[in-house]
Amino acid sequence: MNARTNESWLEDLRTPGPVRDAALDDLHAIVSKGLPYALSRWLSPDDPLFTPLVEEVSQETLLRVLDQLDTFEGRSMFTTWVHKIAIRIALTELRRKRWQDSSLDELVDNEENPAPERLMADPQAGPETSTERADMLTRIRRILDEELTEKQRQALVLLGLQDLPMEEAARIMKTNRNALYKLLHDARLRLKRRLAAEDLNAQEVLSAFESR
Amino acid sequence: MTQPQNDTDRLPDELIENLIRSLEHTKEEECTCDEVYAVVDQYVEAEFRGEDVQRLMPLIKQHMELCHNCCEEYEALLDILEKNDPA
Ligand SMILES: [Zn+2]
Repeated sequence: MNARTNESWLEDLRTPGPVRDAALDDLHAIVSKGLPYALSRWLSPDDPLFTPLVEEVSQETLLRVLDQLDTFEGRSMFTTWVHKIAIRIALTELRRKRWQDSSLDELVDNEENPAPERLMADPQAGPETSTERADMLTRIRRILDEELTEKQRQALVLLGLQDLPMEEAARIMKTNRNALYKLLHDARLRLKRRLAAEDLNAQEVLSAFESR
Repeated sequence: MTQPQNDTDRLPDELIENLIRSLEHTKEEECTCDEVYAVVDQYVEAEFRGEDVQRLMPLIKQHMELCHNCCEEYEALLDILEKNDPA
């Protein structure tokens, strides 16, 4: 069944009628066999959601493959390209679910998980913290204040503090994952340059942080 | 509408530490998530064949160090290739 070349996959999928249907059937089998290997890190195969998720993602994958067929450049095996599409669909869905569940837990379970506000309420060094660490933190905070834009700071909070998946943070910020990565890259670059301008490097900062 | 967060004092120490740590991997030129997605199938196949992907596609490797989401997708794809392998 898996004997098609890249060319014959493309040809068959572009031939309306029984030829395409047969290719889609074969592709469906390939995706739904491969996907469980990728999902087992995320979800137990015994989970009642597992089988429906595999089926739902497989269907969605076939639609997207047909839609994006012209973008396949033949740099990998066609089936690897299809698995890549399936993974993007599946993990986007799983991340969204996981994050929704965890934010629900947080609402319910306030005793165990302190609210972010409380977590952040003590920016100053605790009694066990060395002066060196406290001084460095103050200095870095000032640099962050001066260098980061509001959007960059918001992205850091959403991703780093509230632990949102990239797609969710991007949605809240009305942007997309790619642009969000660029925004953060920009933030890292600015900080790196600023540290260099102040004759500091990341290693030094970290070792000051580690001094207790 | 979401409230903008604008006070760096509200960023916890741990987040600042992680941010500084990520600077060690930060380069002037980095791939974006879309650029990684475009070639990750090729990358995983090369790795699966035992090629030195770090040397062949250093920017992709570097992105994986910084981008948790892309790294997860890469690992998932590698899982499929490895476990699907009839050999
Ligand atoms: Zn990425």
